Amino acid sequence: MLVFTLRRLNLFIFTFIMLTALSFSLSFLFPGDALTNLTGQINASPEQRALLAEEYQYNSHIIKQYWAYLTHLFDGDFGISIASHLPISSEIMNLLPATIELSVVALFIAMAIGIPIGFLAAINHEKIPDQAILFVSMLGYSIPIFWLGLLAILIFSIQLGWLPSAGRISLVYEIKHITGIQFFDILLSDSEYKWQAFQNATLHIIMPASVVAIAPMTIFIRLARTSMLEVLDSSYITAAKAKGLTFWQIIYRHAIRNSLVNVIRHVGLQFANLVTLAMVTEVIFSWPGIGRWLIESIFQRDYTAIQGGLLALSSFIFIVHILTDFIYAALNPLARDRKHGA
Amino acid sequence: MARENIYQEEEFPSPLQQLWYKFKAKPMIMLAFSCFLALVFLAIFAPIITPFSSSQTHLEFILLPPAWNDDGNVSFLLGTDQLGRDMLSMLMHGASFTFGLSFIIVITSAVIGVVIGSLSALTSGFKSSFLNHFLDVILSIPSLLLAIVIVAILGTGLSNTVLAIIIVLIPQFIHTTRNEVKREFAKDYVLASKLDGASSLRILQYSIFPNIIEKIITQATLAQSAAILDIAALGFLGLGAATYIPEWGTMVSNGIDLFYIAPWTVYFPGLAILFSVIVTNLVGEGLRHALKQRKEY
Amino acid sequence: MSFNPIIYFLTLPFLSVLLQGCNDEDTTLLSTKSIIYCSEGSPEGFNPQTVTSGVTTDATSNQLYNRLVAYSGDEHEISPSLAKSWHITKDGKKVTFYLRKDVEFHHTSYFTPSRKLNAEDVIFSFNRILNVEHEYHEVSGGLYPFFQSIEFNSLVTNIEKINEFTVRFTLSRPDSSFLANLATDFAVILSAEYAQYLSELDSHQQIDLLPIGTGPFKYKEYRAGSFIRYLANENYWQKKINIEQLIFDITPSNTGRLTKLLAKECDIVAYPIAHKKIIERPDLILNEITSFNIGYLGFNTNKPPFNNKLVRKAISYAINKEAIIDTVYFGKAEVANTIIPPTSWAYDAHIPQQEYSIAKAISTLNEAGYPDGFTMNLWAMPIQRPYNPDALTMAKLIANDLKKIGITVNIIHKYEWSTFLQLITEGQHQAVLLGWTADHPDPDNFFTPLLSCPSSKQGRTGTFWCSKEFDKLISQSLQTTDLNKRKKYYKNALKIIEDEVPLIPIAHSKRFQARDKKISGQLLKSFGGINFVEVNKN
Repeated sequence: MLVFTLRRLNLFIFTFIMLTALSFSLSFLFPGDALTNLTGQINASPEQRALLAEEYQYNSHIIKQYWAYLTHLFDGDFGISIASHLPISSEIMNLLPATIELSVVALFIAMAIGIPIGFLAAINHEKIPDQAILFVSMLGYSIPIFWLGLLAILIFSIQLGWLPSAGRISLVYEIKHITGIQFFDILLSDSEYKWQAFQNATLHIIMPASVVAIAPMTIFIRLARTSMLEVLDSSYITAAKAKGLTFWQIIYRHAIRNSLVNVIRHVGLQFANLVTLAMVTEVIFSWPGIGRWLIESIFQRDYTAIQGGLLALSSFIFIVHILTDFIYAALNPLARDRKHGA
Repeated sequence: MARENIYQEEEFPSPLQQLWYKFKAKPMIMLAFSCFLALVFLAIFAPIITPFSSSQTHLEFILLPPAWNDDGNVSFLLGTDQLGRDMLSMLMHGASFTFGLSFIIVITSAVIGVVIGSLSALTSGFKSSFLNHFLDVILSIPSLLLAIVIVAILGTGLSNTVLAIIIVLIPQFIHTTRNEVKREFAKDYVLASKLDGASSLRILQYSIFPNIIEKIITQATLAQSAAILDIAALGFLGLGAATYIPEWGTMVSNGIDLFYIAPWTVYFPGLAILFSVIVTNLVGEGLRHALKQRKEY
Repeated sequence: MSFNPIIYFLTLPFLSVLLQGCNDEDTTLLSTKSIIYCSEGSPEGFNPQTVTSGVTTDATSNQLYNRLVAYSGDEHEISPSLAKSWHITKDGKKVTFYLRKDVEFHHTSYFTPSRKLNAEDVIFSFNRILNVEHEYHEVSGGLYPFFQSIEFNSLVTNIEKINEFTVRFTLSRPDSSFLANLATDFAVILSAEYAQYLSELDSHQQIDLLPIGTGPFKYKEYRAGSFIRYLANENYWQKKINIEQLIFDITPSNTGRLTKLLAKECDIVAYPIAHKKIIERPDLILNEITSFNIGYLGFNTNKPPFNNKLVRKAISYAINKEAIIDTVYFGKAEVANTIIPPTSWAYDAHIPQQEYSIAKAISTLNEAGYPDGFTMNLWAMPIQRPYNPDALTMAKLIANDLKKIGITVNIIHKYEWSTFLQLITEGQHQAVLLGWTADHPDPDNFFTPLLSCPSSKQGRTGTFWCSKEFDKLISQSLQTTDLNKRKKYYKNALKIIEDEVPLIPIAHSKRFQARDKKISGQLLKSFGGINFVEVNKN
């Protein structure tokens, strides 16, 4: 396990350097002045600018500049937003939790529904349910998500009136920002309307999270199906059969557990895809997350925000990636000893 | 047109023919394949065969519903938008943008990705491990986020989104090619060529490529459906095609303001995207299936 | 299975919600005590003195503040507000206000007032605008656009405190629109005590960002681009506020606002689109009101052929206004018969609707000596305004109409707005499509800026029309406070316009608002920002 952890740490450091270098180089690639892009201080006076240039080692060697940039990052200083003049770090602290909330709930929905369906397909391999599931899952990952979102709003918000169409919670509830994860904040608040707020927030997340979940769900269906087929093909299943266990006993006791482990392995990889979908969904459902903010930042030419957002979002994805690796390793002893992980 | 034909003159026709036999065995796949060819045809010839020009406005027929509706008009089969432009003509033109451009994107990024991928497969040691990690990092950034960053650098517009999506797709091709080439290199027949004294490049060209080309084509169909969805998504977000271009994603976003009074302006372009992605995916699926079956024999 | 605890942990809160749902019937839903208004944009600040934008005045003026006097009734007469009565001297140069004694300022988390409203607050609010040296004058930019446009500085020479609850304004000249100006959204009363408190803290800027007023609602929270939260002012002097919270849900997207209305996430939405859809729904109401504005076709009366009143008359017969309303305004406007909208008290119901008759137009044109017609240019304004959302299309329709009486129209639409205005001022045009939005509902705000000799000479209106008789009537009207007399003067003035046709009034645009049926109470006024004081939720 130690070697495994060291490997991951190594990968993490490498990734961190890569991402910060990418983000740092963006300030030169974006239109306009690199120092302004990096700090977001668009209205700085010449004196302030000189001070900033000093702080960011703007006139020294590029490596020193990068180092100065890293030092600022470690101090939690991502610069200020060109559009709103608020510190990027506080904007991210406000917005990232909303995205995390949406994508984690969506991941949960995708797995909770996708994996059992995938198993079902594998159990009925090459029969009609299998074909039907495969076809529906093909539909699922072919739908343009923004269009699906619009249709969902039309059906569930407007025709049926079941679910709200925008935001994280009705604005009538005033929830203090504590953790940023709204459900926890509601539970921590002392409002007399706590449970109303909780219900309201639950209703708000159902539709966007389901829309995000559709495409990953189809992928989990396929992963679960393949993994189950592999397991069913293996010799210990044959052994169990020979032992005289019934078919469902085999499925419950042996097949599900072992194929689940394989599916878990792919969660990390799927997560980047899921966040992409969440970004578009945030726009459609006015979800106050980091994706919507990033897309608006392009229109406002807020390059500092794009840099900060890129860094925050990809670090988050990478952390999830590594976390699932650890979970996989914890569940599957074989993975710990393998020479080349990831 | 049928891309398979391109390779018929090459040295290894029989596996491809075999593939074709497996491929066409499924009627569903063949249906999808013919739809795919029809889309290709439309993408090339749309400007000639549409009933109206996509920019021609008919101010006397504003927001006309589709023809099967009571208020519809047969000359505008799928209705008109807020400027009286014919929806059908716009959708047909859109095929050249959303579907046609996805082709160009995939071919370009495949060529670049395969070249870099196969060259990098020849490296080893630190360089190889560095590249591996580097690809991991790039692949862990959501593709849309990467595209947004590139659009932020280059500015919005259709040609810039095309460029952005090409750049986003390249790492996937590098990744696939690299893995495949490495796997093939470990096989005995490559060793045979090596013993014959062939250079690495020659081995790549004559021994490995013919064996991995199908894998790359499969990857390309996956990439194409992703490319269609990305073009449309960027168009929808207002980062892609300008509003007057009948790109399908842009058409959906133009239709949003009319969603409640003229829902067909949103339904049809969305259906067009869905249709083209399904068709592409089915063709890819058929290809993968045929490949698998051929291997089993 | 090893995942069981995780799944259990994640589903637990959701299950408990379902269970809990049954228990809290005793606390009524918070949403029934709150009103969500979906507005179209973010305010620039929270002090309407410093702005002209409708978004900001909608969000602040009537919600957070009061004025000395207010408009009331359908005809927008001046009525008491913070001043319970007032007195104007015979010469019209001294105006004394007697303030109410029971007006509390907002008690908020950032400031607790120790006293009620008094003369100091009134003096502070206006001195901030008038006195360039004032400590607060330069805060938020030092621009007070409305007050500059009515030349407030030269009008008011002094404001003095007579006693704790009496204030006297001394004017340099009599002006019967003075009270109307003080009743506009911009002339709000701020707290002098708060200002002093802030200047001790040296955070002057806060006065316009964390507002303290006397209005029915008090500021709670604002997140730019997202929402504004107001709470009911429990000490409001006028009446008890029916709701607990007023929330402005800032939704710039037209479809977004409509969706939120249809999905019942907003109780009221500003500027709704797709009216048909709203009318179809039995649970929604679409309100409309004619705004105080006018879109018109102005003639350059200095240049032939429009120096001939018969030619102008002929053209007025030839224009199909109904078609313009349908095509350019999509029906969201009212045909204008004269420059004053029907909701103004100066409107004269006897003014006939402009006749649309090609035959009459041709015969009038013959009479004027142009039997074969002529060629003219028509300048169409290059920007969108409520009174003219699409001047180019309007120009095309007019060109089409005039072709029928033998007049060829060249449309000029290529200039950028400031250049366009510059060239109009220079009189380069023959005819022009322009418009005007009133700053306050006193009818003088239409007559003087649009057609008086001094403003015609400036050329901004594009007519260069000047009538001594007309000017005499409108200045007579300004010098008296007798409403009936003023009505008579304006009636005669409108007659002159009808006879002379210096411009052809085309449309008064309407402002729309949609709301849920549960929301009662008038909140749209034909003039000024919205007002939530009477709004209730059943």
